[in-house]
Amino acid sequence: MLLPSVQRGLRIGAIAFAILTYLVLVGLPLRLGDLALPILAGAMALFFWLALRGGKSKQDVFNRQPALLFTAGLSGGLTAGLLIAALLAVFVNLTSSGVRLQPIFDKMTPPNLAALYGVAPGAIVGGELSPLAWLQQALLLTVASGVGAALVLVERWARGRPTPRISALRWIPLLLPIALFLFVLWLGMPGVTFGGNNRGTIRLLAAMVTIGAGILALRAAHPGRERQLLSLLYLAGVAYLPFTLDQFQNSVLGIVFIFVMMGLGLNIVVGFAGLLDLGYVAFFAIGAYMYAFLSAPFSSPWLSAQLQSLGIPANAPLLSFWMALPITMLAGWIGGVLLGIPVLRLRGDYLAIVTLGFGEIIRLFMLNLAELTNGPRGLLNIAPPYLFGYNLGNPRDIFILGLIGSAVIAFSAYRLDNSRLGRAWIAMREDQDVAQATGVNLVRTKLLAFAIGALFAALAGQLYAARQTNIFPENFSLFVSIDALSLVIVGGMGSIPGVVLGALALKGLPEVLRGVDEYRIVTFAALLVTMMIVRPEGIIPSTRRRRELHEEAEPVVGEDVPSVLERLAPELKSDNPDGGKK
Amino acid sequence: MAVTTYSSTSVRFRQKTTTRWLVRGLGVLILALVAWRVVTVGLAEGYPATFWMSQLINGLVLGGVYALVALGYTLVYGILLMINFAHGDVMMIGGFTGFFALQFFMALGWLQGPAALVALALILIVAAGMFGSVLTGVTLERVAYRPLRGAPRLVPLISAIGASLFLQYSVLLIFGVSPRVYQKPALIEGGFRAGGVFVPYTGLIIFVTSLFLMLMLYLIVQRTKLGRAMRAVAEDKGTAALMGIDVDRVIVFTFILGSALAGAAGVMLGFHNTVVKFNSGFIPGLKAFTAAVLGGIGNIPGAMVGALLLGVIEAIGPSALGIPTEYKDIIAFTVLVLILIFRPSGLLGEVVSEKRA
Repeated sequence: MLLPSVQRGLRIGAIAFAILTYLVLVGLPLRLGDLALPILAGAMALFFWLALRGGKSKQDVFNRQPALLFTAGLSGGLTAGLLIAALLAVFVNLTSSGVRLQPIFDKMTPPNLAALYGVAPGAIVGGELSPLAWLQQALLLTVASGVGAALVLVERWARGRPTPRISALRWIPLLLPIALFLFVLWLGMPGVTFGGNNRGTIRLLAAMVTIGAGILALRAAHPGRERQLLSLLYLAGVAYLPFTLDQFQNSVLGIVFIFVMMGLGLNIVVGFAGLLDLGYVAFFAIGAYMYAFLSAPFSSPWLSAQLQSLGIPANAPLLSFWMALPITMLAGWIGGVLLGIPVLRLRGDYLAIVTLGFGEIIRLFMLNLAELTNGPRGLLNIAPPYLFGYNLGNPRDIFILGLIGSAVIAFSAYRLDNSRLGRAWIAMREDQDVAQATGVNLVRTKLLAFAIGALFAALAGQLYAARQTNIFPENFSLFVSIDALSLVIVGGMGSIPGVVLGALALKGLPEVLRGVDEYRIVTFAALLVTMMIVRPEGIIPSTRRRRELHEEAEPVVGEDVPSVLERLAPELKSDNPDGGKK
Repeated sequence: MAVTTYSSTSVRFRQKTTTRWLVRGLGVLILALVAWRVVTVGLAEGYPATFWMSQLINGLVLGGVYALVALGYTLVYGILLMINFAHGDVMMIGGFTGFFALQFFMALGWLQGPAALVALALILIVAAGMFGSVLTGVTLERVAYRPLRGAPRLVPLISAIGASLFLQYSVLLIFGVSPRVYQKPALIEGGFRAGGVFVPYTGLIIFVTSLFLMLMLYLIVQRTKLGRAMRAVAEDKGTAALMGIDVDRVIVFTFILGSALAGAAGVMLGFHNTVVKFNSGFIPGLKAFTAAVLGGIGNIPGAMVGALLLGVIEAIGPSALGIPTEYKDIIAFTVLVLILIFRPSGLLGEVVSEKRA
């Protein structure tokens, strides 16, 4: 029994080594600075915990006997530690003997290695490392694996105990957002020095957490009067936020809510109707460019020439923000239908690739049709929205407009979800042929999904153009589509509150945590894969979606409302719906 | 063709006769418009025949590389009914591995040596690229795809998109933004003239190597036991498992084959384009996918024919239609869209766009 557990340890250790090597190669130690070693060891302890607990079945012998568990853990830690120490030793020796690693590995600079060893970069260049430093790596990882194994034991012990049920505990998640909101207000008061230089960042973070916690709390509240009361309270709080935050905080939240608008539109296409659209940015771009043409025709050589020949002065906006709204919406609608018609017959993955192609085609046109779009030089001096003579172009008002737009779109999406059309979308998503057989008009249903989704994206695009005042083709790259898709998926496909949460997490957090921007896309990508494996239904799944993906017994509605903490804890189940033919 | 068709039975989509004729009419109309444009604009430019010939050669060389990548898409699709979105990036990793091998042999001085040594070095460089890609492909299958077997179809696709981005941006973080420049050994620099048309040596080598690798693949799939197992799994996973075939092993083997071809393609594309960088697999990957669809996805000869055709279309398309070469990517995407609308089965395949998982 000992040998298999050592084997298992070796396997886990090799994986841990691969992960560590990756983290070192992408230059994470340098970014973490002095804390690199403890943070990496802590992350590894978590990894060992997850790896050791993940037995396929309850009969897993490693989960029964603590001795075997620790044998596996410690041998894994030792393997990973020795391997990474040896690898780093090679790097350090190469560096100290004058080989420049940088032309090959971009991040393998002496400071990066030094951060991991906790020494000055000069020690790496001079090769003054003692063998002790190498041993330190190996030992630290072994300790981390021991901690991981202990965590498994603790977890099992905790699982074995009956969970206490105190009904008063239910109020904690409900009141948490209120406490957070008060914290935000307190931070904004003059004279408060909490957090020092980071006060603004902490405040922004707290504001975002408040909105997220509010959404979770609303879901945890009992339906009926309690939920109505809470939602009124939260609505008032969120409406007050723009007036208390400063410019930078408002501008970050403004972009977050522009992405919420876009995500809600994509949610209709992907989440409700099940049509994976990878070219969604095209509609965002259509909205932005349409408003730009109407608002700043002088930026486009062809348009201004046309206007001049008609005798209209081309140096002022043609239409105001509000007058342009119906036109951009119409443009989005038409764009959606035009894209929808050719892809009517496609499903799933084909649709994804073709829409991706469309997105790229639109971008290439924006780049190369310089006569109309001014090419890479972009359209400049787009007018901000005005209301009764007031300029609404400042970050605060853009944030408010974003909130209003999101609320309107969320309400429409909610009504659509529960409408005849929404049910047709879901039927189509589940099984196109059966839906058709039961009388769903596929052509109409699909085109409506594309058109409505595109309309919302165009609205977001118009607000975006008004916020930026200058737009360029590179604002509308494939990554906008990927961002929007990730936030829909991470939040929970088909779930409206999930979109808001996803946007806060994926668009808001990177803005707050400056400096990790370099790692943003890699993190998204890893998150997408992990999410698909661990929790394909997203953070806040729509009820239907969760039922679909986890086919085991669900609690009967009304019998037991799971607490927020239960909802938040990702159930790391290894029971994928196994490969039954569908 | 029945032996080589590489996909399982499908449900044929029945359309109303009028709609079908409408779609066909539209297709003919588009073809006529393209032909009209070619005759009135492209041919009217009066390029010499040698120009068209050299463009054709360019197209065939590029098509050969696309074919290797397209085969990877087709193989995986045939077995898992899944588009391996990260396949282009697997190819890019092969390009990087090949680049480092090239540097290594350059440092050893083999590439300045006698012809036999240069040839050996080149073979080893391609092998290194294949090795790098195979390692990536197998890891990808293990980490990102295997846990999702049997999940709804959107789930592995999203995972594949994530994997693709992860590979690209990891390479960006590890190796930096600057593109790596492939230096050709002096021996294969230049080319020769055949009937007034210039044929570069690298082009010839790439084309011959692609054909050789495709032949090898064909033999493996048709003549070996594992190839037979692959075809059985593509036909019906459950029944194949009942017949004693280890389905997981076959799937891994499929990824090995596809990634090896992609790795070779990555190295050759590196020599052809002279640079490789973190996102240099993305667009070629999409084009190879287009090629696979053009030929009929899941169909091995289809991928080869489709890729050669797409390479040629892309090379002569801009001049023939009289549009700027910046639009050549648009041509490939347009071909993809048109094919999916008018002949979703591809040139040699059966109807798959309507196929059920």
